[in-house]
Amino acid sequence: VLFLRAGWKSRLLLSLAVVGPGFITAAVDNDAGGIAIYSIAGAQFGYSLLWTMIPITISLVVVQEMAARMGAVTGKGLSDLIREEFGLRVTFLLMFALVITNLGNIVAEFAGVASSLELFRVPRYLSVPVAAALVWVLVVKGTYRSVEKIFLLASGIYVCYVIAGLLAQPDWRAAIVGTVSRPTASDVRTYGYLVMVVGLVGTTIAPWMQFYLQASIVEKGITARQYRASRWDVILGCFFTDIIAWFVIVACAATLHAQGRPDIKDAADAAQALRPLAGEYAYVLFAAGLFNASLFAASILPTSTAYAVCEGLGLESGLDKKFHEAPAFYWLYTLLIVGGASVLLIPGVPLIHIMALSQVVNGVVLPFVLIFMLRLTNNRDLMGSHVNSRTHNIVAWATVAVMITLTLAMVATQTKGS
Amino acid sequence: MALVALSELLGAPVRDASGTVQGRVREIAVAPQDHPTRVSYLVVRTGDRERIVPARALKSHSPTVRATTDASEWESYAPSDGVLLLKRDLLDRQIIDVHGRKVVRANDVELDSTPTDSHLVLTVVAVDVGARGVIRRLAKGIVPSFTLRALLERIPPRVIPWPFVDLIETDPTRRVKLKIAYEGLSKLHPADIADIVEDLPPAEREAVFETLDEEVAAEALEEVDPRVQVSIVESLDSDRAADIVEEMDPDAAADLLGGLSRDRSGEILQEMEPSERQEVTQLLEFSEHTAAGHMTTEFVAVPAEAVVGDAIETLKRFEGGHEAVATIYLTGPGQKLLGAVPLLKVATTAPTVPLAQLAADTISCPYDTPEDDVAALFDKYNLVTLAVVDDHGRLAGIITADDVITMLRQTH
Repeated sequence: VLFLRAGWKSRLLLSLAVVGPGFITAAVDNDAGGIAIYSIAGAQFGYSLLWTMIPITISLVVVQEMAARMGAVTGKGLSDLIREEFGLRVTFLLMFALVITNLGNIVAEFAGVASSLELFRVPRYLSVPVAAALVWVLVVKGTYRSVEKIFLLASGIYVCYVIAGLLAQPDWRAAIVGTVSRPTASDVRTYGYLVMVVGLVGTTIAPWMQFYLQASIVEKGITARQYRASRWDVILGCFFTDIIAWFVIVACAATLHAQGRPDIKDAADAAQALRPLAGEYAYVLFAAGLFNASLFAASILPTSTAYAVCEGLGLESGLDKKFHEAPAFYWLYTLLIVGGASVLLIPGVPLIHIMALSQVVNGVVLPFVLIFMLRLTNNRDLMGSHVNSRTHNIVAWATVAVMITLTLAMVATQTKGS
Repeated sequence: MALVALSELLGAPVRDASGTVQGRVREIAVAPQDHPTRVSYLVVRTGDRERIVPARALKSHSPTVRATTDASEWESYAPSDGVLLLKRDLLDRQIIDVHGRKVVRANDVELDSTPTDSHLVLTVVAVDVGARGVIRRLAKGIVPSFTLRALLERIPPRVIPWPFVDLIETDPTRRVKLKIAYEGLSKLHPADIADIVEDLPPAEREAVFETLDEEVAAEALEEVDPRVQVSIVESLDSDRAADIVEEMDPDAAADLLGGLSRDRSGEILQEMEPSERQEVTQLLEFSEHTAAGHMTTEFVAVPAEAVVGDAIETLKRFEGGHEAVATIYLTGPGQKLLGAVPLLKVATTAPTVPLAQLAADTISCPYDTPEDDVAALFDKYNLVTLAVVDDHGRLAGIITADDVITMLRQTH
């Protein structure tokens, strides 16, 4: 009787409060660029790239877990910590790079909105401004909690991809074998195959995710004590992301690749091409999924960027503050949306090149972010007993090494290509 | 008198008495035990080690730092807990801007340099939190210094004078040595302290609540967001937490303890004074969303036959919150509620008049009234306080209008 106040309701709220940031971050990871890469990977190489999903998942879990743990233990954002430990100049340069990278990503998201709605015959001159305004209002005028509920609900639409994969009637045995077997030596030497591996890793582990996840953990007030539940949120989120990715690859492999139609350029092409092969519903689902992914990421990326930059440079930030309390935060947020959306309205803009460039910058920035994260998570003054374990460090440094190698390879192939 | 920025001094070459450059400035130390704002020494990185150049040996700082002593006289530097190192402890760190009532980040530190007969006196005067400090540091060594100076003069300064700066130090022993007491912070309104604390990371929140005076800490804690409240109390020692909880309004204390784990609230209750513990335990038994869940047991009650003078005497001895005194309740044997008199009538009537003559219709509600109905009663009768009675009509507690506002804001 004494503790009636701490009833089931508050306990339920507590567990709901912990399930969230990791899952959302991972879900947004499958954005327009990601879905494009997965579709092309499946269409061009069938089931032979599915093996990348297991190592990518391991790296993704390790990296995301570090960001979440840092947020819970220190109660500070990633850019806060970088500022305090590495100084103003490093922070400024990193924030500059992050704004450029994320602006590129935002353009890609609005491109995703435009192309998915063009499949339903909505012109981009209508869809892009409306989507930009919608995103702005959703985040600025709503409180963080209700915004997050909308986001959580929206990640349910990702099940579309699983259904699309099932409707495509894939060869399950070949898909499973492709997932667990090593790549063949001749595949690895193929130029186009390597580029695709680079793309898959690059699109799955992105710099913005680390900043966004850690900031969300801090904003939610998750502490070291509650961290155990958050870790599960992060891990489940990573698996969710990669399972969806797996199904997208499988769907495209079973249809486009099997029918000998590998030449698609982006996710909208994939949806268009799926229509006669997998039926009307698969097509609609694929397009709806792409639209949601793009809109979802378009609402998170500008917020994430504004958070990171304002925290790092010591400006007021947070969705729980009013516009006049955190003007720099909201202005940066607004300019990123307006800037990202207006690029698409320029007639004849080379979209493919902008998207490719944003992927390169993503890849160049990521190793730096990871190295900062590793140095922070190994700092005992900061993390206390929650410093990285040896196994953790090995996996994380291996990820950094692979990412740097892949990034150099990507830059090299880009230069070679052009 | 001239101003010099910390970032200009850091890395500056240091010449000794002979005029040769012996090293570069790495840190600037203030020893609060000796003087709260005056620079005590510079830490200079010479070829092989770090050395101390005492402030009394400084002659000038521009364009290079000049010392009046020979480098061989400079002692080796050993880290010490008792000094404030401006770069390590202040630059890029979060500080509390007491005047602006918020948490900000230090972009640079402004020092005043005044030459005396024998040496240069460097004093910390302000913390730069604006664009000027950022640009100075980003452009240092890239833009020629005279161009930079001209550019910086065009940027309006955004500085916090040193007396309005409260440092955040999470190590308790260092806090004592550095004489950090959150004096500025504790003078703010509890609601402002709460806002500041909510913006701090958990370890820093704990530091503030370990240091603040119990009464101030209790008032501030009442205003803090419930979720943050719980994390603060979880992080404190049980006896410190109990000291703070005892000072809180019983209803707020009960709400807080109700949000904690059973073990934790048990420990805290154990550490509390018996009388406070009993009050809070009683309140804990009620459901959160009823009248009893929102009531406080600190109210003003006098016997029904009392006169105005008696009420004033009771008010003088009353220790509860000022919201609770708006109404004086009249009770009969066994705390039975018989009437209520508004404070205004008591204040404007002669001391000999019996209170019963001033009593109006008394609005009260049973303790299990749902909170929506409580709000409706406040609305309908334009109440400032509402009496809560038990099954036998005994006055159990009162609900004040501010509790109703909090309640409504939580549900919407």
